[in-house]
Amino acid sequence: MKKIFLSLVLLCIVAGILASGCVEKKAPAPEKKVEEKPLIIGTTDKITVLDPAKSYDFYTWEVFNNIGEGLLRYKPGTTDIEPGLAESYTVSEDGLVYTFKLRKGLKFTDGTPFNASVVKWSIERVLRLNADPSWLVESFVDSVNVVDEYTVQIKLKKPVSYFPALLALDPPYYPVSPKAYPANEIKDSTVGIGPYKVVKWVRDQELILEANPDYYGEKPKTKKVVIKFYKDAATMRLALEKGEIDVAWRTLSPVDIKDLEEKGKFNVIGVPGGYIRYIVINVETPPLSNKTLRQAIAYAVDRKAIADKVFYGTVEPLYSMVPIGMWSHIDAFKEKYGERDLEKAKELLKQCGYSEDNPLELEFWYTPTHYGDTEKDVAAVIKESLEETGMIKVTLKSAEWATYAAEYIAKGTMPIFLLGWYPDYIDPDNYLTPFLHSEYSADLGSRYKNPEMDKLLEEAQIKLSKEERTKLYEDAQRLLAEDVPLIPLFQGKLYIVTQTNVKGVTLDPTMMLRYYLIYKE
Amino acid sequence: MASLKSYIITRTLLAIPMILILLTIVFLVMRVMPGDPVRAILGAKAPAEQVEALREQLGLNKPLIYQYFDTLSGILKGDFGRSLIWGRRPVIDEIMDHFPATLELTIFSFIISVVIGILTGVASAYNYKTFKDYFFRLYGIVTYSLFIPWFGMILQMIFGVYLKLLPIGGRIDVFMEPEKITGLYVIDSLLTMNFPALVSALKHLALPSLTLGIVLSGIYTRLTRANMIEVLRQDFITAARARGLPEKVVVFKHGLKNAFIPILTMMGLQFALLLAGAVLTETTFSWPGMGSFLLERITYRDFTTVQGTIVFFAFFVVLVSLIVDIIYAFLDPRIRY
Repeated sequence: MKKIFLSLVLLCIVAGILASGCVEKKAPAPEKKVEEKPLIIGTTDKITVLDPAKSYDFYTWEVFNNIGEGLLRYKPGTTDIEPGLAESYTVSEDGLVYTFKLRKGLKFTDGTPFNASVVKWSIERVLRLNADPSWLVESFVDSVNVVDEYTVQIKLKKPVSYFPALLALDPPYYPVSPKAYPANEIKDSTVGIGPYKVVKWVRDQELILEANPDYYGEKPKTKKVVIKFYKDAATMRLALEKGEIDVAWRTLSPVDIKDLEEKGKFNVIGVPGGYIRYIVINVETPPLSNKTLRQAIAYAVDRKAIADKVFYGTVEPLYSMVPIGMWSHIDAFKEKYGERDLEKAKELLKQCGYSEDNPLELEFWYTPTHYGDTEKDVAAVIKESLEETGMIKVTLKSAEWATYAAEYIAKGTMPIFLLGWYPDYIDPDNYLTPFLHSEYSADLGSRYKNPEMDKLLEEAQIKLSKEERTKLYEDAQRLLAEDVPLIPLFQGKLYIVTQTNVKGVTLDPTMMLRYYLIYKE
Repeated sequence: MASLKSYIITRTLLAIPMILILLTIVFLVMRVMPGDPVRAILGAKAPAEQVEALREQLGLNKPLIYQYFDTLSGILKGDFGRSLIWGRRPVIDEIMDHFPATLELTIFSFIISVVIGILTGVASAYNYKTFKDYFFRLYGIVTYSLFIPWFGMILQMIFGVYLKLLPIGGRIDVFMEPEKITGLYVIDSLLTMNFPALVSALKHLALPSLTLGIVLSGIYTRLTRANMIEVLRQDFITAARARGLPEKVVVFKHGLKNAFIPILTMMGLQFALLLAGAVLTETTFSWPGMGSFLLERITYRDFTTVQGTIVFFAFFVVLVSLIVDIIYAFLDPRIRY
């Protein structure tokens, strides 16, 4: 009797496991159905909405960069721009009119032919729908005109030196099929014109891509690609170790990356990404309206501790808002404050009347999940480094993203807080103007206003020569380090971990993974 | 049975005010909470005009009372509205995308937890105050206090990474998904006689449902044990033994059946808990279910989806507890409605 009970209990625990394990051998392997083994990429990101007029997140943009294409495109692995759906273009002397000669004979995956009126229709649709990313078009484009079937002109509101960068990276500028997308409505559609076409998409589970036979350019290295969506980075790591996925893309946790690197059984590839993190200081609220105090904080912040303690060296300390590796980047904060100088910080705090008995009390804010679960540790390390002066007392406060971004930044509730930035286009302008120009600085929390800064940024926006622009951006970075409305902290590195037989992974500052270049040996 | 019919009708009618109160609370809490869906969607960069335009488009600029009655009349008509974010899909479509996954996980975990729980409970009571009893009591406490992500990961490491027997996450292998009929892969693959898909679905179900099932089995172990000890001491058990009935019949037919009513009550309650408690399991195993979906939508302040999902859950829980109550009547002849 007793034996029966015991064996029943054990049976229950083991039965399910073994049963399915045993059946495995009899059942036909799933791969038998397909002729070539697909490349399986895991990610913890998600597709929000497959409509270029609406989506405004990095992962969905990456998908559009694989199933669609812009008039121009980035040469993979570089920041050079090359012709995409347009075979060539010219710019008028005043920098206002861009004329594109389109490639002929192309069609979308639903059969709709690609021509100048499709380009016009697509861009105008983004403007008409006025959804999340529409400002990327609305701020620059005055009108789009069809010259002939394969020639289109885009007229700008003002000269914008980095306009080609927008066309190359931003899906709101990508031509879409008028048959697949309704004129006045947002819609998920899988019709594209890029290297891959979507075979199947199950939201939050998988996206299956197949080489698009009608694509004009080089054929993808792998015919079938499957994207598997994970909810949890730890699960994705285990799936990689088990061999369920070939590539673990964004975002493995820093501990896992380090650990996988040490194990040496996988390829771990890391490159500096265009993703930056920084502290924002609301310059309108006392006591931080005092520039000297802000400078004291800039002296005290310990970037290296964040990079080492929280991210195990998987991020790079950053001393400017313009990321490392981008033209015009200078280590402006390092020039002025060094890596860290506690004594100087104390000196400035003393100047402002603070002491160990009368410390500066700060409410320091962060948001706990939006930037990953490392965020509270980042905040804790900053608290520690500021309190090391002995003259600052930091109280950490947090709010969920919806509250943080929605209410508190807009209302100016938070005197000093953490924020992050993914670029909208690859140009120094995108790392400076939105934060430092008086017209936009309130939207991103600092409320900084300096006519000198506005002048530098405006001028750099119009100038077409890179040399002139570099000079202006360098001045802007030095002025930023002087006034300290923001304190850059670190720049994210992009990590991708693959099985050893995976080749062709190309990462660059656009942060978009090109699935069509990856293959398995 | 006429009384049972009237009982069912009364219970169903009583569910209406309950769901209404729930909806009102959810509606108010979502709106009182700080945070704004429009800003959550557009982010901090968007200009003020665009924020206002979207607010108007979503109907969020109307007075609260209008919004409330709009929602209410919609739900009464069976229309859960559209999600506020991203593609603005109908809420019911979003629910139907995720609910079958949760239901499937819930059913399997439920079966595992009940079977393991009752068997260990019976074994524990039968071997009262012996080593086995202590062992199963300890099992009851330990499993009940296990942290799901930790335990899930241990199982993933053992059966996934080292033994390579079972998949780490997801619902089914790539390219294997059966034709959609009910959305429950196990049932759909059986209906379509797609056996490779059935095997794949069961393999994917094994770890998450074992994790959740084992964690929730502890409570049944303890409950069954307590009730069985009581029952096994009663005169009719001694009488049954005296008549020479086999022990198996004495324990399961006479003993367990009499100890079953409180266990059944717990099953009804636990089923509702399972639905909600699946969140952690779903995240650990990348299971595309309702729990993690609901959590995500709460952080985005997707009012309509959250309301719709919770009301949908409430309907479901009411239905399950009604079924449990009806089973009572069949199981225990003393219960009459």
